[in-house]
Amino acid sequence: MNPGTKDIIGLAARLAVGGIFIYAGVTKALAPAEEFAYAIESYRVLNSQLSLYAAYVTPWVELYAGLLLAAGVFTRWSALFSGVMLVFFELLLGQAWLRKLPITSCGCFGTSGSNSIAGEFLQNLAFLALAAAAFKYGRAWSADRAVEKP
Amino acid sequence: MIDQKNARLAALAFTLIFVSTVAVLMARQLNLGPERPAPGFRTFGPADAPVHVYEYTDLACPACRQATLRIDEMRKVFGAGLRVSFKHYPLLNIHPWSLQAAAYSDCAGEQGKFKEYTDLLFASQEKWAGAKDQPKEFETFARQLKLDWEKLRVCSEAPETLKRLRLDIAEADMKGVNATPTFFVNGKRAVGAGQLIDQAMKFDNVMRKAAKP
Repeated sequence: MNPGTKDIIGLAARLAVGGIFIYAGVTKALAPAEEFAYAIESYRVLNSQLSLYAAYVTPWVELYAGLLLAAGVFTRWSALFSGVMLVFFELLLGQAWLRKLPITSCGCFGTSGSNSIAGEFLQNLAFLALAAAAFKYGRAWSADRAVEKP
Repeated sequence: MIDQKNARLAALAFTLIFVSTVAVLMARQLNLGPERPAPGFRTFGPADAPVHVYEYTDLACPACRQATLRIDEMRKVFGAGLRVSFKHYPLLNIHPWSLQAAAYSDCAGEQGKFKEYTDLLFASQEKWAGAKDQPKEFETFARQLKLDWEKLRVCSEAPETLKRLRLDIAEADMKGVNATPTFFVNGKRAVGAGQLIDQAMKFDNVMRKAAKP
């Protein structure tokens, strides 16, 4: 692969993963935290109080991670952090899928529609691959590069 | 050199975080987020009506009783041009029974008589709103409307019913609602029936614009 192609792939991956994190964060931050908390509870990993705390924090973390990745600020760290979050979401989805939990909405994008848990799991795998591409090739047209210029 | 570069990036990261936080908090206050739909039994008027009013109401609040009368008049005047959805916002610190009243009214709604039940509750507010013990009106009105009281009672304590009410309250808190009745008319806030009537004066224009091909 020539350097130009790698740069374009890196930029596209950064914008895709960053964009999806921004969208997920904003839709949830504009809805009551309790709504997302109910979705988290349905995974049967956290109790209701911890689910509520998680619901207060997660949308903002997603929003900030998405913004930093899309803008290319500390690109490798942002991509790595986004990847770790995606792995964590995969674990949650995976255990729900294996336990056949009756989850009607994954809670990923607030009240807007959700695929099946299996569908969300596979979709997250694709985002994970994009996060890896952003980690490896994502420094082109980034804020990181811009500040390197004298 | 590296430190200077990192300092610039940190400043940029801080700016992005600060600006996005302010933008989201402002969007919440300006009600720019999507409105959670109200259940069908709390919604009146066609889905394609050009004016959609969401009312956050407390069944024990006298101003809400007056506002409901205004809303009923508006529904008659504007007909299919107006859609009204009710959301509960019981003021728990001053109205000890309004959460229960909201739960009973939703359960009456599930039996097809939300409006009839809330009309009776509004009309007799002074009898039950300040009661020391569980008001008997909840049962009396259910029986008067030929609702299944036992089913209603079980439903009023069901987790799904309480969850729906908590989400209404949480949504109102997030939007900065702190008085009842508060209306959102096509997303624009109006507090009290007076402000609602001010906005209603523009309904004709909105409906005319919507009717244009």
